Amino acid sequence: MPTRSRPIYTDPDKRKSLDDLASLVADGAVIAVGGGLSSREPMALLRAILRRSITGLTVVGSAHGIDIDLLSAGGALTRSSESYVGFEQDFGMAPNYRRALESGAVKAEDSCCYTLVQQLRAAIQGLPFMPMRSVRGTSFPSLHPEYRKMVCPFTGEELLLVPAIEPDVALIHAQYGDARGNLVIQGPPVADLLFAKASRMVLATIEEIVPTSRLGELRGIHIPYFYVTAVSEVPMGAHPTACYPFYAYDRPHTELYYDAARKGADTFCAEYLDIFVHGAADHADYLAQIGGKATRARLASWSGGLEAWKQLYRDGAMA
Amino acid sequence: MEAALPRRGDGVTKTCSLGEMMITALSRTIEDGTLVFHGFGSPLVQLAMHVAKRTHAPRMVLVAGATYGIDPDPPFLAPTTNDWVMDRGASSALGIEELFDLAAAGRMGRMFLSGLQIDRWGNCNVTSLGFPELKMKLPGGGGGCNLSCDAAHLTLWTTAHRALEDAKGRRRFRLADDCDFITNLGHRTKDGKLRRDLGHRGNGPQWLVTELGLFDFDDDGHMRLNALYPDTSVEDVLMNTGFKPRLASQIEIIPPPERLVVEFIRRLDPLRVHEKEIRAEDMRRRFTIA
Repeated sequence: MPTRSRPIYTDPDKRKSLDDLASLVADGAVIAVGGGLSSREPMALLRAILRRSITGLTVVGSAHGIDIDLLSAGGALTRSSESYVGFEQDFGMAPNYRRALESGAVKAEDSCCYTLVQQLRAAIQGLPFMPMRSVRGTSFPSLHPEYRKMVCPFTGEELLLVPAIEPDVALIHAQYGDARGNLVIQGPPVADLLFAKASRMVLATIEEIVPTSRLGELRGIHIPYFYVTAVSEVPMGAHPTACYPFYAYDRPHTELYYDAARKGADTFCAEYLDIFVHGAADHADYLAQIGGKATRARLASWSGGLEAWKQLYRDGAMA
Repeated sequence: MEAALPRRGDGVTKTCSLGEMMITALSRTIEDGTLVFHGFGSPLVQLAMHVAKRTHAPRMVLVAGATYGIDPDPPFLAPTTNDWVMDRGASSALGIEELFDLAAAGRMGRMFLSGLQIDRWGNCNVTSLGFPELKMKLPGGGGGCNLSCDAAHLTLWTTAHRALEDAKGRRRFRLADDCDFITNLGHRTKDGKLRRDLGHRGNGPQWLVTELGLFDFDDDGHMRLNALYPDTSVEDVLMNTGFKPRLASQIEIIPPPERLVVEFIRRLDPLRVHEKEIRAEDMRRRFTIA
């Protein structure tokens, strides 16, 4: 099957509600979740997806944490092709993700960052595959029978061919954007730019929607509007991951999440999902649950200087 | 230009911790004038790279994992790697594709990798215990698989070499006879194929730093005990290794860091983020410094 051509989106006003954004994710879709580790993950949109009980999703990505762990707990996934899902050395392995994969509820098809990059690049260029030298000799090809080998016709060396990955949907949280769908990402973009270009649809939550005329003044990575399908202004939309300069990573909330997750699926459901996901009717409700303005002020305090920033990450810092 | 360490210490610091010993040992594996990268979740390695840059390797290109910032000067270590704290002072930043491209093109001199199983050839498993029957899902290796093939040299590390008995009296070796899954490639594949015959860019693992000793890899690509800490023995290493490591003809003692290095580490990591990597029983170990 030849590579399909990909649409562009030209609606001058793509603003929608958060729930309408989530409704565009179909059961069984291949999704690429933006951000990474504890930074700029589209958490509000993922919670909205769980509230809609969307199922059968496949996730592809590089290094992730609470985002994929939460989707695992909420029953939204059937396949994971992430490169890493965990809470680094700080809290350790991802409890819900582990349970879902070890029980067989979610199929483990782990990948690695550059393999994913090459597969997205193939999709971006409208090509069926990309070659690479690495991976050969590791156990990954046994997880991925779709990989092929070839002898390079120019140099005679053996190469690995990895097929294009064209996610159905990229979910991205950006600091700034406009109604037309232009996005500005500040700080490390992780794989978001690749995701936006390789996916058939891009759904973006935006911390602050601004007039198009202001975008030019903003530093950062700019994603042109025609890649973007729909946007929604969602302040604190990455919480509890960071969205600098607006707010830092909420480590105390993550600890609360982790402690509930470690106690088992039922406890996590009662102590976290039933409160912060299904117990909150919408994002405004969620923001109230996590402590409203006081929490926002605490996480914004990083800009007050190094001591304030450090304080946010000390053991025993209060949520 | 990175600020060099001050010339005078506080005169009070007389001992260092295991973490500080390991950071120093890791830093010594870095050569000046090379491009070096660390991944996420590895504060010992982050600190080792900053130590190297301020001591013997001022012209090293320091690429920070997760942010991909070039030569950052973070005010303190954050508990998570992709945080704006970690790329403060960076002169520029790479995109994810650029970082891996430069390794694939042969520009990356060294990468640091670890595993929950590490075998005698330096293969690492961070994917799953049990394969294809999955017994325990491990977090995954990020880009480690790709970089294990492409980076010119690898330094491996683990803080869990000692194989403690579990509640049922079983011991699971971190330095294991066999990796259930090879996430990161060492010197020999599961079916005995030599790495050098695969035509990869990189030369594979060169060093392994554990809380019990320092290893290199001999001409066969086999792990070899090279040095011990002042408080560990060859017996400790043999008892805690799931295979028989080779022994260097002379086993050295890992030299402690200079006082200025210890003080620098404590300034850069005031939240003691790196101690999350160290087991509780190893937190008590102390070493006299020069």
